Amino acid sequence: MLEYAYLTRVLPHRHPILQVDRVLEYTPNQRIVAVKAVTGTEPCFAGLADGLPHSSFAYPSSLLVESLGQAGAALWVLSARDGGTVLDGTLMFGAARGFEFHGSAYPGDVLRHEVVVESLKENSAVMRGETRVDGRLIAVVASMLAIARPEAAVAGSVNP
Amino acid sequence: MTRNYAVPLDAVDRVELTTAGATVTKRIVADDPYIEGHYPGFPIYPGVFTVETVYQASRGLVESRREPGTRVTLAEVRSVRFKAPLRPGDELTAECELRDDPDDISRVLVVAECRRKDGATVAKVTLDLRVHEAGDHA
Repeated sequence: MLEYAYLTRVLPHRHPILQVDRVLEYTPNQRIVAVKAVTGTEPCFAGLADGLPHSSFAYPSSLLVESLGQAGAALWVLSARDGGTVLDGTLMFGAARGFEFHGSAYPGDVLRHEVVVESLKENSAVMRGETRVDGRLIAVVASMLAIARPEAAVAGSVNP
Repeated sequence: MTRNYAVPLDAVDRVELTTAGATVTKRIVADDPYIEGHYPGFPIYPGVFTVETVYQASRGLVESRREPGTRVTLAEVRSVRFKAPLRPGDELTAECELRDDPDDISRVLVVAECRRKDGATVAKVTLDLRVHEAGDHA
């Protein structure tokens, strides 16, 4: 099991966008199971009007994508380390296909992500995965691509 | 300003209606929520927030065009491809095309071409929206 403190040494993401709390299972180059607890004190639940229905408090889909993607990124970085290499550059979300939402998570729920490797290369990783809450399927992704991009290429994008 | 549903940030500054849908803009600023952690000392607008920009704008459009009380959720990110990053100072423009599903009034397809002010393509996003009629809280 890998705790949050260790995850900050694996992923470049930090509070409040670090959306993985703990790794439960990890098999290098193959599979990871990670959890993220959703709580009403997160910034995404700030500023909501009074009297809204339950559905208004669904954990945002974009953050769910980010959270599942970070579980995949952790799998990639950990696998590289265990293989004696280090990813070179800034970690970026490259692409995703077939990211379906089958339910919602709410404050108090624990997201359980499972990500499986399709292919790992030096500068890119292709994975698929799913997210469950108490066994209930919340999301499935057919394919997501993570890339490591040289920092200079990323920094050069700012318009003067 | 109060919100009606949970979002990581207000991801839309301006919406201009077009015949196909809308042109949506969002100026990236360093103190956008969540950016401080993405990444410390090297802020980049997270790719999923570009999806959020397209989603918030198209959700608002569909909800305003249907019966009062209609609610829209995201059924699927059919595809998203990120081509270039957005950093503070950049402006995101998303050219969104909304297509009602001719066979299913509860579905709307959104195809968005996202660009930076310098013209570089930032992302291509295709979303499948689910339309819930008033009173349906599923």
